[in-house]
Amino acid sequence: MRKYGDSQVPLKSDGLFLFFANIIGREKTGMNIIEVRDLSFEYPITDDEGNVIGGNKVLENITLDIPKGQFVAVLGHNGSGKSTLAKHFNGMLLGNSGKVFVNGTDTADDDKIYDIRQTVGMVFQNPDNQLVATIVEEDVAFAPENLGLPPAQIRERVDEALNAVDMYKYRLHSAHQLSGGQKQRIAIAGVIAMRPECIVLDEPTAMLDPKGRKSVLKTIKRLNSDFGITVVLITHYMDEAAQAERVIVMDSGRIIMDDVPKKIFSQVERLTEVGLDVPQVTQLAYELKKEGIDMSLEVLTEEDMLKEIQRLLPKRWHTDI
Amino acid sequence: MLKDITIGQFFPGNSVIHRMDSRFKIVLDILYVVILFVADNFISLALAGIFILMAYGVSEIKPIMMLKSLKPLLPIILFTAILNLFFVTGEGEPLVNWWIFTIYSEGITTAVFMIVRIMCLIIGMSLLTYTTSPIVLTDAIERLLSPLKKIKLPVHELAMMMTIALRFIPTLIEETDKIMSAQKARGADLDTGGLMKRAKALVPILIPLFVSAFKRANELAMAMECRCYRGGEGRTKLRQLKARPMDFMIALLMLTLLGFVIVDNMVF
Repeated sequence: MRKYGDSQVPLKSDGLFLFFANIIGREKTGMNIIEVRDLSFEYPITDDEGNVIGGNKVLENITLDIPKGQFVAVLGHNGSGKSTLAKHFNGMLLGNSGKVFVNGTDTADDDKIYDIRQTVGMVFQNPDNQLVATIVEEDVAFAPENLGLPPAQIRERVDEALNAVDMYKYRLHSAHQLSGGQKQRIAIAGVIAMRPECIVLDEPTAMLDPKGRKSVLKTIKRLNSDFGITVVLITHYMDEAAQAERVIVMDSGRIIMDDVPKKIFSQVERLTEVGLDVPQVTQLAYELKKEGIDMSLEVLTEEDMLKEIQRLLPKRWHTDI
Repeated sequence: MLKDITIGQFFPGNSVIHRMDSRFKIVLDILYVVILFVADNFISLALAGIFILMAYGVSEIKPIMMLKSLKPLLPIILFTAILNLFFVTGEGEPLVNWWIFTIYSEGITTAVFMIVRIMCLIIGMSLLTYTTSPIVLTDAIERLLSPLKKIKLPVHELAMMMTIALRFIPTLIEETDKIMSAQKARGADLDTGGLMKRAKALVPILIPLFVSAFKRANELAMAMECRCYRGGEGRTKLRQLKARPMDFMIALLMLTLLGFVIVDNMVF
């Protein structure tokens, strides 16, 4: 299995990154934005009188590096611990053992907790339960207001964030009049307004219709490519994970695979074992290969499949005729 | 039925009323209520009525919204009017004296006054919420109450609670509608039976509603923490409240109205 060492990190072009680093007024320091070291976490199990009688292990000895600017997808079925892991990235949860570092700062450091939360923004599943204010722009302003910025800067950040998610023209609408996808983009804007270096999205499309899913995913990809924001996308949709640069697969609180999407999804049997699907075209390639066709399993999109079939067809015709 | 609730609805705009300092709007709205109850003859009450209609004209809010704000409170208006009609006794002969009902001319006057007063009161208060975004409104309340911080009243927390409550009114209304449909689909009978039966029928609606509201509150608290919320200390605001000369002019206009009403009362 290929490991993500520093040399193989597909970083954004430096010019673009520095451009954004200038905007956000931060210097490019280390290579990894998030470093997880030997992290374990368990929910305590209590008896009727409230005494702790044991622990429900959710994360076991996780070690993980997320380089700046990467688009990572975390896959896993329900209860695999992927949401719990995400909540460690900005100090919402602290492990029983092990450490998490954000830009080199320990998330257990109480004095730096708001710096950490500003650096690593989080978006949750249900857009309705993350919007604080009735009017769109007032909700987006919530985070910069908490940071204590002067009003002119808040205004600047709100406009910038709303433009980044392509919702500027809705800035005076009531949130409840918007569609699910639009609401989720507002929730993303509310996090962007903190100018984070990394966004962790915990199943942001799970409650959306296909159209809303598409628009949210497009927004996420644009934040990664145009603004160089590191994206950690937690999902159980294979087609979304397939669009990332790197896929991490979790099962029972452990990382069982960590590679580029093509290498992950070509291991069809292993994924099925842990209760995950593969994208439909990969499934098709897998079935064809089982039938004895010399098919590559590294197909994720319909274009990949088309190329693969074009490669194969003339050869087969030669042998058949 | 639930869709009729207009509390907390806000119509963005750029009229003189929209641009007024919301602190002035709140104080002047209270002053307007004082005027309404000080006014006790037709001329001053008519003036107060014309004043609020003019304010609506300036505010660019559709006149139909006035009626919409009155609709849910119609029973209360009628109830008050009927009470006044039958129970106010006056001097001289009653106009109607049939069975247990006696109506004096004073009763009719009081009833009409009461209707006009309550109607003006409601549409006046609605004008405030129609033209002020909830966050600005709670912000203004926070500022107006800020002297009370000295006696340890959690003013910021109260204002934040109001903001969130207003934000979740439409969400919870929608949710209630969904739960009601779901329970009806399972055979719940919500519309028939006596008062007790109907009250009991509400239990299967309220329980899921509360459970989901607590869940929402939990998630919202987490989302707020992720966005660096740490109470009112050191927090700034997108919108600054600033009193303009226009605010003072409108305040002066209303004080003049109050003065006129008082003088009017003493003369007649």
